[in-house]
Formats: sequence, C-alpha cells, structure tokens
Amino acid sequence: MIKLELPVVKFSQDQKDFRATIRSFLQNERLAGTFESKCDSWLSGDSIEFSRKLGQKGWIGMTWPQEYGGGERSAIERYILTEELLAAGAPVAAHWFADRQTGPLFLKYGSEEQKQFFLPQIAKGECFFSIGLSEPNAGSDLAAIRTKAERTDGGWLINGSKIWTSGAHISHYMIVLCRTSPYDQNQRHAGMSQLIVDMKEKGVTVRPIQFLTGEHHFNEVFFENVFVPDNRLIGTEGNGWKQGMAELAYERSGPERILSTYPLLEEMIHILRENEDEAGLKETIALLPDLWTLRNMSMGVAKYLEEGQDVNMIAALVKDLGTVFETNVAEKARLIISRIPSMSSNDRLSRLMAQSILHGPGFTLRGGTTEILRGIVAKGVVAQ
Amino acid sequence: MSESYELIMDSTNKIFKHYCTKELLDRAENGHWPQELWDVLAEAGIISIGFSEQAGGVGGDYIDAYNILKLAGKYGVPVPLAETLIGKWLFAEVGGQVGDIPLTLALQNDSNFSFVDEGDGYTLGGSASAVPWARYMEQILICGDLNGKQVAALVPLAHAEIREENNIAAEPRDSVIFSQVKIDGLTVYQVDSVLISEKSLYYLALAKAAMMAGAAERVMELSLFYANERQQFGRSLHRFQGIQHHIASLAGETVACITAVNTAVQALQDGQYKTEIPLAKMKVSAASGKIAMAAHQLHGAIGMTYEHSLHHLTRRLWSWRDESGNESYWGSVLAKSLIEKNSPTLWEVLTDEQNLLIVD
Repeated sequence: MIKLELPVVKFSQDQKDFRATIRSFLQNERLAGTFESKCDSWLSGDSIEFSRKLGQKGWIGMTWPQEYGGGERSAIERYILTEELLAAGAPVAAHWFADRQTGPLFLKYGSEEQKQFFLPQIAKGECFFSIGLSEPNAGSDLAAIRTKAERTDGGWLINGSKIWTSGAHISHYMIVLCRTSPYDQNQRHAGMSQLIVDMKEKGVTVRPIQFLTGEHHFNEVFFENVFVPDNRLIGTEGNGWKQGMAELAYERSGPERILSTYPLLEEMIHILRENEDEAGLKETIALLPDLWTLRNMSMGVAKYLEEGQDVNMIAALVKDLGTVFETNVAEKARLIISRIPSMSSNDRLSRLMAQSILHGPGFTLRGGTTEILRGIVAKGVVAQ
Repeated sequence: MSESYELIMDSTNKIFKHYCTKELLDRAENGHWPQELWDVLAEAGIISIGFSEQAGGVGGDYIDAYNILKLAGKYGVPVPLAETLIGKWLFAEVGGQVGDIPLTLALQNDSNFSFVDEGDGYTLGGSASAVPWARYMEQILICGDLNGKQVAALVPLAHAEIREENNIAAEPRDSVIFSQVKIDGLTVYQVDSVLISEKSLYYLALAKAAMMAGAAERVMELSLFYANERQQFGRSLHRFQGIQHHIASLAGETVACITAVNTAVQALQDGQYKTEIPLAKMKVSAASGKIAMAAHQLHGAIGMTYEHSLHHLTRRLWSWRDESGNESYWGSVLAKSLIEKNSPTLWEVLTDEQNLLIVD
C-alpha cells in the first residue's frame, strides 16, 4: 500500500515564542524601512546587509552543529523562521541557497576541511552560494549536461557553461554539477561530480540574463579552463548525480513553494476587511483551504526529512501542488479586487499583483517543471 | 491516538474488507439493511469508540474514531457509523446512553421540533429532512423546544412518518415527520441547543471529510490497478505522460485530503477545531470532484458502468462534498468571522492556531 500519510506537526511553547521573536524582529525592520514586502522575495529580493543581519542573529544554518557555526535547532524551528521571512516578503535571496541546500550537502557529503571552512562563513551570512545545474542544452533533461572537469596538477580544469543560475552575480561560490568522465549514452547518470568553484577564479565569466520584468536575478556562467583544487570536490568523484538529487528534496518541499505570492493574499484580505467586503472575503477565503493544507503537508515533509526518510516523491508532489496554488492566488486576486497591476504603482496591491503575475511563469518551472514533477510522482506511486 | 490504535485499525480494516464487498454495496442501495455487518461492528466495539466506558463507550479518542471513519469511507460502509458515533458522543455528554443499536440524528438548528409535557410522556411535533438511514433506524437523536427550554431526546422512530429519499450515492437521506404524536416513557435532557447543534454540524463535517479522504484513497488504488493492467497502443496506460498527470493529480489531491483531515482531527483532539474543521471540509470537498473526474477519465468507459466498483466511491464523493456544509457554506462562515474587527490576521490564524471568532 502506498504511504500517503505525512506526520502532523504540533508546535511547543518554545517554538511559539521563537516565532514571536522573529515576527517582532521583522516588524521592526519593516518599520525602520529596511525592506519592503515583496512577492517572490526568496529569489528576487536580495540584500547583503539583511542576510548578514540574519547571520548575526544565528538565523542562517540554524539546524547545523555548533562546531560549524550552526545553532543545532530543529528542522521545525527552521521551518518557522523561513515561513515567517517569506510571509513578510523579506529579502532573503542572497543566502537562501547556501542555507537551504549547500549547508545540508556539506554536512552529508563534505570533507571535514570543507565543513570547517565553509559552514561558519555561510552561517554568518557572509558567504553565498549558487547552484549550477541547467545548461543551454540540458534543462529538464539534466543528465544531458556537458560541462566537464578534467584532471590537472593538484585539481581540475572546468570548461563549459551553466544557465539560469540564480544569484550567480552575488554569490562567492557555485556548486557546479559537471562531467568528470565522458558522457556515456548507456549510463547517462554516471560520471558526474559536484565541484565548488570560486567565482573570483580566473576564467569564470558571469553574464546577466534579464528576467521578463527587466530585473536581474539569473545568469549565464561560463567556465574557461577554471582551476578547482582537489579539496574542492564534494563527496565522491562520479557520485554527483545521486548527491545532487538528494538536495532536491530540500529544494522542493519548503515553504517557498507555497508562499511566493502570500504577501499579495495578505494585502487582499487586509483591504477587504477594511472595506467590510464580506462577498470579496468569501471569494478570497476559497484559497485558504489549499494554503492551510499545503502548509501542513510541507511541515510534514520537513519532519520526515529530519528523520532521514526518503521524501523524493512526496517533495515533488508538494512542489507541484504548491506552485499551482501560488499562481492561482494571482489569478483569483485580479477578479476579486479590480486594479491595474503595475510594478511602479504607488498602490501596494497593484505592485504585489504585478510581481505575482510577472514572476508567475517561474513558479512552475524552477526547481523541476510541473511536467517533470508529475512524472516523478506517477512513477513513484505506480512502483509502490 | 490510543495505545491499541494499530490493532483497532487492523481489525476494523479486516471486518470492512470482508463484509463490504461490491455485492453488499449493490444490495444495500437496493433496499437491504446489512444487519450482520452491524452486529459484527457492535460486537467489536467499533460503534462505541471515542468515549469512556463509564459513559457507555469503549474508550479510544477522536483520532481512533475518525481514522475508523476514514476506513468506512474507503469501503463505502453502508451503515450510519458516523451518525451513530457522533450521536453517542453528544448524547453521553448530556448524560444519556444509547446501547448497541444503530442511530441517526437531526440536531441542526434548522429542524423545528417541539415537545409538550403530558405528565406520563410527551407530545412531539416537527420534522427534519435528509436524515441519514432513518428508514432502517429504531431511534433518532433530536433536540427541540419544551416550554421555552431546549431539550434533547432519543425518540423511537416508530412514531414518525418517514419519506424515503436518497442522495446520489443511493444512501438513505429521509424526511422524518412527527405530527403531534404522544410518546410515552420518553426521557428528555436539558441542553444548550446552540452548542449541541454546532458540535453536531462540525463533527459530522469532519466525519464526511474523513470518509471522503478514505474514498479518495480507494479511488486511487483502483486507478493505479487499472493503469497497470490496461494496455493500449501496446503499452500499459501508466506509460503515457497524459495518464501520468492524472495519476499525479490523484496522488497529490489524495495526500492533501488525508493531511487536511489528520490536521483537523488532531486539532479536535486538542480541543480546538472551529477553524480547522471548516478548512478541512472545504479542502476535501473541493478536491473530491477533481479526484472523481480524474479517475473516471483514466478508467474510460468501463468506469461508468454499474458493474465496475468505481461508481460506489465516486458517487459518494459527489454526495458527501455537499453534505454537512460544502465549500460555499463554510466559506461564508469563515468570511463572517474574518470580517470581525477584533479577529486575528490571516497569518495568525494559519500559524498560531488561533481560532476565528465563529459567529452564526
């Protein structure tokens, strides 16, 4: 029988108090004008200062061991932190990938030297990572990547390119998935490795790709004989595919797959309440059961992840439903409150609508397209 | 969940699986009352779970009871298990005891029963519609007016006129009419009718949600079986990407339904449910239509036949989503409370488990 049940997460009093602490910090920051609440802030809202501030508070790498600068808190506490940041639309993009998946990757596969060198810097909010996966000819079919690393004295030389790399222009390092053995049609997932590339290294070129709004958050990155020392291989040579796939569970099931348009929903409800518009509220509330359910699913996955369970299929399932919900918020909003969406409007709701609509196409593409995810889910349940 | 949770679920599953065959469901919707099934359930204590032995129950908690209802939905169990359980809990709260008979109830505010004290009994007038399984039941739990006070009573249905009606799953949903009949030897219990009516509605709404989640699970199992077995164009159906999307949608919505129900049941167990139960019922009701249609699309013509068992589940999904409040009903309830000036914000409701101030 298919295991379709996720654990129900309940918060302790300590965890509730922690939430209150985060909430008042964010409220103060907002009042001080540090940031403006934006939709999709985890990808498009970066602030080096804000990331550093979170690092100082111990709010990056908070589940990691203390010897590496972490806080040894639980996955549920990290969940509380991330969802509060996202709901507030805070600018967290700079450190997001390092905190979410590079840290756990190091903890699982990294060498002792790597853990001691990178994790404390990441936790301080002073070291940002980007994730180099897609290439011009390898999108959903990730196993088609061609970027290669060849042996040289004391390390590797990387040649090739990565594309759609979010935050490459502000990150210090990139985890590059590349071929360390030649491409083999019969064993497509073999021969790949994960290398840490220092973005300041000679031969690395970052070319901005303008998003359809004109904003800049993703990039094309070129590697021309880029040297990577031996000690910057993560895990085992040739094991890159498996290591990379393990990261995806962290990438797919988090609150950022549900809450990208939450600031819009909150603003709508705020306006409808002010206007005592009961009919509008009723229409808006039709979105709530999905949000409430998805949040509980996502927390259940976080709990499973912490217990070390295999959540590959269920994480794909949550991301599929979550991202469809995110786009649905934008579609419903425009019919419930009439506004002309505009990125530059003085009206907050118009701006949030514009952000939600224009960022919408990314929700169901990034981190595995809906089509790929549904394939994973279907194969997962058929196999069981 | 009680210590013997696994054991209870396992034995309940075995009983349902053994008795609730397609043949039994077919016969039940053609006028057969499955007494043998009821006796087995009574013997096993399944109809008395979720309240203490002192009050006439067998112990266990809401988590046990609602997981049994999930299973009942999965097998389309053709007896009023939800109504009996909830009737027993509520009647025990006011000090009454029921015994092992099956029970239906009509406690909602829209029924209009009134009692007149005759010294040696009561005269009862009033009616209720869409009463589950009334035609087969010996007794109904109702509440009504007695000289300006609200009372509850377990009333023999022999005194009532029963008009037989069905929902679209062919489950009995009868009208029950008491035309100023004198009933001797009746005991009435003074109650807070607003509270008992509200509890009955919320508990039943969660029961329907749990049963739909169970039915969804079974719909998914049938769909997976068919997608494996059926070959077209020389391949199993599940090899086609279009079919995979139906399977993914079925899996996604089913996991969502189960999560919604489990979360709300846990909230009820913790004594807090006024936001969670409406949200769960809304979520599951909205999902059930999608689940039914995806499964039928996947099954093709065979799934539309009476001979196949899919319809026993999909017709229940289509019925139960509108019973005990559909998305629109509960949406209005939540909207009314969210508009109150001193209500918590949306984020507080979601994260702090803060109940909205539900107003009627």
